[in-house]
Amino acid sequence: MQAETRAAIEHARDRYPRARSAILPALWAVQHEMGQITPDAMSEVAGILQVTPSEVEAVSTFYSMYFQHPHGRHEVIVCINVSCALRGAEGIVDHLERTLGCASGETTADGAFTWSSTVECLGGCGGAPTMQVDHHFEENLTPESVDQILGALRSEPTPHGEHAVEAGGVAGGSAGAQEPRRRGVPATTGPAPTEPSNAGSTALSTEAKKRRGKPGQ
Amino acid sequence: MTAVAETGTPPEQPDDGRVGISIDGRELRVPKGTLVLDAATEAGIHIPIYCAHPKMDPVAVCRMCLVNIEKFPKPQPACATVAGDGMVVRTNIPEVTKIREGMLEFLLLNHPLDCPVCDRGGECDLQDFTFRYGPGISRFPITEKVHFKKAVPLSEHIELDQERCILCWRCVRYYDEITGEKEIVLQQRGVDTLVSTFDDRQLQSKFQGNLPEVCPVGALTHRKYRFVSRPWDLQRTASVCPECSYGCNINADSRDFEVRRFASRDNPLVDDMWLCDRGRYSFDRWNTSERVRRPVVRSDDESRDVTVAEAITQAARRLREIAEEYGAASIGVLGSSASTNEELFLLERLARQVIGTPHVDHQLEPFDGISAAEHELGIAEIEECDTLIVLGADPEEQAPVLTLRLYKAERKKGARVIRLSSDATAADAAIAASGATRIGLIADETNRAHAAAVATALGAVGSVRRLTITRGINGRGAKDLGLLPNVGPAYAALAEPGKNGRQILEGLASGTMRGLLMLGPNPALEAESELLERAVRKAACVVAFDTRPGIVSRYATVLIPGHAVFEKAGSVTNVEGRVQRIRAGLPPASATPVETRVLTTLAGLMGAVGWGSGDPLAVNRLLRDESPAYGRAGNGGRALFTAEAVA
Repeated sequence: MQAETRAAIEHARDRYPRARSAILPALWAVQHEMGQITPDAMSEVAGILQVTPSEVEAVSTFYSMYFQHPHGRHEVIVCINVSCALRGAEGIVDHLERTLGCASGETTADGAFTWSSTVECLGGCGGAPTMQVDHHFEENLTPESVDQILGALRSEPTPHGEHAVEAGGVAGGSAGAQEPRRRGVPATTGPAPTEPSNAGSTALSTEAKKRRGKPGQ
Repeated sequence: MTAVAETGTPPEQPDDGRVGISIDGRELRVPKGTLVLDAATEAGIHIPIYCAHPKMDPVAVCRMCLVNIEKFPKPQPACATVAGDGMVVRTNIPEVTKIREGMLEFLLLNHPLDCPVCDRGGECDLQDFTFRYGPGISRFPITEKVHFKKAVPLSEHIELDQERCILCWRCVRYYDEITGEKEIVLQQRGVDTLVSTFDDRQLQSKFQGNLPEVCPVGALTHRKYRFVSRPWDLQRTASVCPECSYGCNINADSRDFEVRRFASRDNPLVDDMWLCDRGRYSFDRWNTSERVRRPVVRSDDESRDVTVAEAITQAARRLREIAEEYGAASIGVLGSSASTNEELFLLERLARQVIGTPHVDHQLEPFDGISAAEHELGIAEIEECDTLIVLGADPEEQAPVLTLRLYKAERKKGARVIRLSSDATAADAAIAASGATRIGLIADETNRAHAAAVATALGAVGSVRRLTITRGINGRGAKDLGLLPNVGPAYAALAEPGKNGRQILEGLASGTMRGLLMLGPNPALEAESELLERAVRKAACVVAFDTRPGIVSRYATVLIPGHAVFEKAGSVTNVEGRVQRIRAGLPPASATPVETRVLTTLAGLMGAVGWGSGDPLAVNRLLRDESPAYGRAGNGGRALFTAEAVA
């Protein structure tokens, strides 16, 4: 585990009265770094939060957005709930299946994308149909815009890395601002990120903005 | 109060801390805070439960105990609803019947229905409740069941069948609330939820054997009991776990004259229904066929099988000869921490009153500075202490279930549990305990003087009570009954202490002592086999009771077959002085009468009068007459000596 990730977890831990409550943000930090959550990482998280590894695994397997297996470099989640369905989500799903050449829940042959349509409502009804790409909302989708988004990403490296976690000011916030797609921020770590420079809203950063500043600042 | 008036319960009951509740028309008053489930049990009304467990906090996840309560908009879980004054509960109406049928139909939805090959069949709550409350027929086709993994070994002791699991959370809560180890969790969610360990690793706990007992179905089973027996083929004998001195209550379940398992027998004052794995899985030790089966008398040139009567006659004659030739003090008498109180009581009298030797002991180490003060604290009283000091790792290694009581005190009562290394100084202990008012000090027998010094130092901080972990199933009884060289029964100081066990054996080996009367098996002596062998080979006369072939049986002048713990009745005393009965559940390995009878006959031949028949129960009455502490303890109470020792 990178020092940055560890710092992010420790930071999250210090924000809760009980360290156990920080399991969710800690797992996000791990997944941002590694693209999945391995048993070793769970043990490390448990060590930092003073809980047992089994508790971390229970939480990590309960939530479907934590991965216990390697995933593609980019994660694409398509909403098919009511609003999106009414605005053509089914066509988007068909299109993704055709262009990516794999079924929902699978990874493309070149390892670029893992996509799924099995999640519940993403809360982006205002821009339906919506999909979430590396924790970033893409809205008002059409087959063409999907091609454009994925085409631009296909050869890009994974955003899970040093720029993904802007934890407690450890990682430079400006890097995220310059490269919009690397702005995935765990909701509970770090100060509100810099204002997004593109038009799309970021689910997690919106959430982060609602929060008050870190305690002790 | 309006509810009271409307339901016709007599109003204005005195406030005695109790509430009036009606269940299926039965009126009863229960203490405030009582759960509806417990109130129903008290009223004799059965409510089926899976997730509820008497030793764990309610979670109300299984929904099996839903009942109708008047004025509640929906059915309520009896296991998590506190009885209120005037509450009217119904379990015998169609609504509740329908709920139960529905719940069971769902629970059996993906259940493999493999009862015929399930170890739990016959004592399974899922089977029993389905039979009693189930719909009798399922609307779901058996061919469409979702399958999970079967027979997953979680450790060398425990096997998990994920298909049979009904997700009641009991094993998860056991590891959370009872041991605190949190080794088992529920992973995944929804229909995929399964019980598992972290990264599918093996369980490490010392208390795994309790899992199959908390599991209401056949999901968690003992690997040592796999396909061994049906419960109705087992003969159940209420006894005490022979593995250590803690005195956990067990049922020794046997079949075809062999012990097949130890099951817990809840005694809230001792084990609180939990056993350790060392104890629970030690049962097959008692099934050995290597046993002493016939009395033997040996002289210099021959060894012959004899009748019991002749063996006893020879024993009396030879011991008398030794006493006449070399003096009674040339005879040593060794009891054992594996013997019953009745045997030890007779042996002590035989040694000091009939033979007249001061050299009495039951093991090898010196017991200098022994006092009744080291046995004040009771096991359940651990929960009354605000600070618990454990000296060294030995107490919890010797009596593992102690760990669970300490954790309970910590978790439920907020006590501080401080584990010090065995060489921590008295000053260290006092500093660690600062701020304490009621201190429990727990030590074992290896560092008696040190524990006493620590107790004195702690006395400056708060009140101190001590619990000393004795050795062997009845090490405490051997101490209480005076099988020690320096104190007599009830810890009465002796003017002239005799030789301790090691000195007796060394005396025999060097020829300064001539005779030995010993009650076996004695694990403490067997551990020093070299010294033991030198002693029994050199001794002019060794009268020995033993159960298994070994050094003693090989060289004893008079050998009398002994009875193993599950072959005889009697009482044993645990670490806190609790006197508990053991009972005969297996046929004895030999036709020899039990030790108490043989000892009584032997004493009679050596001149004792008025010892009675030697029947264990009769000896028990004698013992209770003779020892006030044991008289007061009766069966199941604690023998307390502190007051007597001070007086």
